[in-house]
Amino acid sequence: MLFLLPALVLLIALRIVPMLGAAVDSLKQGSASADGGEFVGFENFAYLFADPGFQSVLAVTGLFLLIIVPGQLVVSLVLALLLVERVPGLGLVRVLVFIPVAAPAAVATVVWGIAYQPKGPINATLTALGLPPQPFLTSTDQALLSIIVLMSWIGVGYWTLFLIAGLQDIPRELYEAAAIDGAGWWRAFWSITLPNLRRTLAFVVVANTVSSVLAFVPVQILTQGGPAGSTRLIMYDLYNNTFQLGDVNLGQTEVVVLLVFLIAVTAVQFRMLNREEH
Amino acid sequence: MNPRIRTSALALLAGGALALTGCSAGGAADDGTTEITFVGADPAEAFEPLIAAFEARHPDISVEYQNIPFDQYNNVIQQRVGAKDPSIDVLLVDAGASASMASRGWLADLSKLRDQAEESSIAASVEQSVWDDELWALPFWTSAQYLYYNADLLEAAGVEPPTADGERWTWEQVVDAGKQAQAAGAEYGLLFDQTDRYYQLQPLAESAGGGSGATGPDLLTADITNEGWQRSMDWYASLFADGVAPRGVATDQMNVLFASGKSAFFVGGPWSVDPISKGEPPISYGVAKNPMFEGGTPAMSTGSWSIGVSAATDELEAATAFAEFASLDPEGNAAAVEQIIIPPTNLSAFDAYIERLDKTDEPNTAGMGQLTLSELQDAAVSRPNTVGFTQMQDVMGRAFADIRNGQPVGETLQKAQDELQGLWDRL
Repeated sequence: MLFLLPALVLLIALRIVPMLGAAVDSLKQGSASADGGEFVGFENFAYLFADPGFQSVLAVTGLFLLIIVPGQLVVSLVLALLLVERVPGLGLVRVLVFIPVAAPAAVATVVWGIAYQPKGPINATLTALGLPPQPFLTSTDQALLSIIVLMSWIGVGYWTLFLIAGLQDIPRELYEAAAIDGAGWWRAFWSITLPNLRRTLAFVVVANTVSSVLAFVPVQILTQGGPAGSTRLIMYDLYNNTFQLGDVNLGQTEVVVLLVFLIAVTAVQFRMLNREEH
Repeated sequence: MNPRIRTSALALLAGGALALTGCSAGGAADDGTTEITFVGADPAEAFEPLIAAFEARHPDISVEYQNIPFDQYNNVIQQRVGAKDPSIDVLLVDAGASASMASRGWLADLSKLRDQAEESSIAASVEQSVWDDELWALPFWTSAQYLYYNADLLEAAGVEPPTADGERWTWEQVVDAGKQAQAAGAEYGLLFDQTDRYYQLQPLAESAGGGSGATGPDLLTADITNEGWQRSMDWYASLFADGVAPRGVATDQMNVLFASGKSAFFVGGPWSVDPISKGEPPISYGVAKNPMFEGGTPAMSTGSWSIGVSAATDELEAATAFAEFASLDPEGNAAAVEQIIIPPTNLSAFDAYIERLDKTDEPNTAGMGQLTLSELQDAAVSRPNTVGFTQMQDVMGRAFADIRNGQPVGETLQKAQDELQGLWDRL
């Protein structure tokens, strides 16, 4: 028990206390003022959920998650399946896939910001190919997708690493036995690879969901939630309310909402994983 | 999964959502001098003459300057001063922000210096820091806006440029001339220095009769869907829809585009002279009055930073002495603009600045001093002095960006008005 004490103290100081602080602040108004504010019960929650702006933030964040999590999972899985093979020259391809992981998010965002400019390299390429230039970050239809592409460029290599490790853990004998039984690639993938990769996949889905919900840097640097709120993800909204508008209580209310959502998502995903194991 | 491990994993993952805290320090040095910290949003060089002059006058006080980038300024101030951090003693307060900061108890009351400030400074610059009938910051800088034009691009298009002392052009005239210049080879017709900022776009609505957007006794009733706002924003949207101004270019790139000879017109402040004069190759340019709408009224942005003392300072006397020197003392206020082209608010320092302005980048800036005087008198509109200015600036900034990116003007203004009113009602 004594050995656990330092970890326990850190956990309480860095996690539990801020969580409780957020919960308390979410029930107050005017915490940033000199008098410390007043208790208002659930008024902040009522305001937030009745606010069309916040409803839009939830919708945008939901859409973002629905696209980015499965999208990154599929691409990472395909890449992992390709990169796990022992083929000459594959080491270089692996490095190219993993390099974006090492780039700080802010740097990657700035690079993509240049690429997305109206007269940037992507539009120059499109024009050279005889295609019309695209508005990317200035269009309500394309801005969120542009952010997703940017984040996937960074994220896919990272998740691929985990999936490669998972694939390498699957005993080769299972594939040999399947081959002897006449199973093709697709059958082996469906009946051997996927079931044995379930734990890793579950981890990637949970961790990817959490990190995607917390996405902030590209929005802050490139779009500030626009155009027309089309990239206003919950972390940016939370930041804006807390730090730009100085409404700490509204920001902390969003922290509580976010926390409840993350706990729920994580619990559901782990429960589903357990159920499949029985 | 083991339930215990599962619980830990849940706690760790969920805990990742939290990252909201802050910290501090401050005091007296070993040699007996009092140390104070002054924060602003401009580079340290801008304040070196001011600090040197103050320290020469007060050898017992030393001033350390900390620069916070403009885009993070209000955010950082909220985190540090809002958390009663005594490591900030003196701070620059943006126009419009003093009421909001004072209402939260972040600023020391400087009302005892009010008479002196009113006597020695430009009246509007004192007024911008009065809230609840008390003075919360001292005037420091003010500002004006000018219509810069590229003489060569206009000549190539056969357009006679406006003059510093001539008739005020209308926005409609500027766009027509800008389009002619584009037809003659200019890449853009008209650029704004601060594309999505309320500071520079407020005069558009004011000129079209739409007002500041903040009405009611406490200026906490949003009114940005009236005819004037609609007309001015329709015009603003058309600039980008018609290609007169570019979409997707960052605000801080606008003066670079003008300096590199890509636009016929540019609306900017006196500070724009510096980057424009450093364009390579240099362009031939001139300045004229900030335009107005046809049939509208003259309206030009004004106001700038004031200098305040943090309510959390442990060195109130030294901090107040520095703010007083920087604002009310002609030598101090003049030193505050020695390295930067922006009008000071002290009347004596202001006169010297006006004389200096014409010579900043001759012959391009000829007449700029007199132009500044006449514009401050005839066309200046201040930002509304409301406790809800922070919210207004944020919501309007997003609305301007949406309008620029092609969202329907009426719908965007209505949405912004509803959002702003909701935020203001919380105050």
